[in-house]
Amino acid sequence: MSDTQIPADTGKHRRANIESHEATPVAPPPSVTRRLVTNLVPPILAGILVILAYAWVRSGLPPHRQFLMPSGTGIWELAFGIPDFVLELLRRSVTTMAIAVTGLGLSISFGCVMGIVMFRFLFLEKAIFPYLVVLQSVPVLAIVPLIQSALGFGFMPKVLIVALFTFFAVPTTLLLGLKSVDRNILNLFKLQNASWWVTLRKACLPFAGPTLFAGFSISGSLAVIAAITSELFFLSGEGGLGQLLMNAKIDFKYEQMYAALIMASVLSIAVYLFFKWLGNRLFSHWHEASGKQQ
Amino acid sequence: MSADSTSTTAPEGQAAADGASLPGGNAIVFDHVSMTFPDGTEGLSDVNLAIAPGEFVSIVGPSGCGKSTLLKVASGLVTHTGGKVWVDRDQLGYTFQDATLLPWRKVQDNVELLMELRDFPAEERRRIAAEKIELVGLTGFENHYPQRLSGGMKMRVSLARSLALNPAVFMFDEPFGALDEITRERLNDEVIDLFVREGFTGIFVTHSIPEAVYMSSKVVVMSRRPGRIQDIFEVPFAYPRAPEMRYQADFSELCGEISLSLRKAIEG
Ligand SMILES: Nc1ncnc2c1ncn2[C@@H]1O[C@H](COP(=O)(O)OP(=O)(O)O)[C@@H](O)[C@H]1O
Ligand SMILES: [Mg+2]
Repeated sequence: MSDTQIPADTGKHRRANIESHEATPVAPPPSVTRRLVTNLVPPILAGILVILAYAWVRSGLPPHRQFLMPSGTGIWELAFGIPDFVLELLRRSVTTMAIAVTGLGLSISFGCVMGIVMFRFLFLEKAIFPYLVVLQSVPVLAIVPLIQSALGFGFMPKVLIVALFTFFAVPTTLLLGLKSVDRNILNLFKLQNASWWVTLRKACLPFAGPTLFAGFSISGSLAVIAAITSELFFLSGEGGLGQLLMNAKIDFKYEQMYAALIMASVLSIAVYLFFKWLGNRLFSHWHEASGKQQ
Repeated sequence: MSADSTSTTAPEGQAAADGASLPGGNAIVFDHVSMTFPDGTEGLSDVNLAIAPGEFVSIVGPSGCGKSTLLKVASGLVTHTGGKVWVDRDQLGYTFQDATLLPWRKVQDNVELLMELRDFPAEERRRIAAEKIELVGLTGFENHYPQRLSGGMKMRVSLARSLALNPAVFMFDEPFGALDEITRERLNDEVIDLFVREGFTGIFVTHSIPEAVYMSSKVVVMSRRPGRIQDIFEVPFAYPRAPEMRYQADFSELCGEISLSLRKAIEG
């Protein structure tokens, strides 16, 4: 108790802190290597941690069950080291990406239209929003079989599933962005009798851009997962990564399953980074948060 | 001028005058104007004020008394609920408390914005923008984004943007309140320069009495909400004004009088 008491004269406990501070002639711009290091080292360290955790869990498994968690060498020898399999993996990635990108394109275009329509008629937001939330909270996995029994097993039903997965973020982020335009900017347009359409194009949409792109990268990273989910129920014919996942599991080819999973993550990250990159290119010259490195 | 005179009448008001010149040859007339917001807040009540062309009128008053509302009614941003407003809204300048620049537009494109909304041809826009950018002393910054400008420079861009339309009436809603003292006084001089050179009619809302006196030919004191005109002071000094004026005895004296009136306004 007695040594937690604050001394009456705090001044004499201050550290003398007088030293000369060197100047730099011009604040140096961050070098390329420095940027690479700050951008790459944290994810690599985190990745190593994940791999260590994986190895640790695996070492705890009894030997007869270790096949459930293939080793790194196993994944190389039975999957990535086999050219034919890598080719198949790439071919299937293209199939999956086609579904993901088409579905994403659908939800982006419909989502943007819906966002703008809700912005125009704000009462529609009240009408539509609850259903968007419901749509978002329905376990899509549960309605995949429904969609398939209704629409069949072709390309479009899968695209529709992707669209359902990825739709929510688009109209919501767009509407949020459109509504956050500064009141006085709107007043400025109103003073010139600018039409609603001109105000939308010249004030609201540019303003909403960065927010919208945050929505795009959320939707984008969901799209690949959604495409894979949509394929889980199609085991015949030439499908994408999702089909490979299921087939490999049925055949106990866990190495291939892991290879497909790794490929899927790479694709998800790629889509996410694409939108991040595009958003930065479009907005970093005026939107501060867009220019920040992540 | 008479052709574009706008007289706006409250919905239940009398018929508008038939495009004749404004009453008494004034630039702006508030005739028993009141403004009640939809939620029942009375913003203005029975405001009577006439501003002659080429006058520069400052408005001071307790905060929340309806100064901004007065400008919004005059500019048509909100519609008053009683009385009549007479003003030529065709060439209207308006600056807000902050510069309200579009951050994704370069200085040049920000200055062109209002002309763009008025469908000026691109060639003319560029020429006028260059002219006004020079007028506010920002030549060389045309290609900068607002993000990289200081508060004072942003405000200058905002002024240039309004000047591009050659405003006949220029409204300022506490434009320099967020700036430091030195920048503020410099901008005061620049606005007076612009006023003398361009010959618009100015309405300038401020909470600084010395600023009001320094800038204007008339200072209007508004009472607390619901705002009405409490006092009008004539400022006897000639334009252009020298910064030294701020230290003269008659300047301080006038500031003192207005201060007293404002204190009465606050106490009600
Ligand atoms: N849209 C509105 N709805 C309801 N009340 C408002 C609205 N705009 C302003 N007011 C109220 O009207 C009064 C005057 O506001 P304003 O003109 O902004 O005051 P100021 O003199 O500080 O500029 C304030 O009490 C404010 O709260
Ligand atoms: Mg105000």
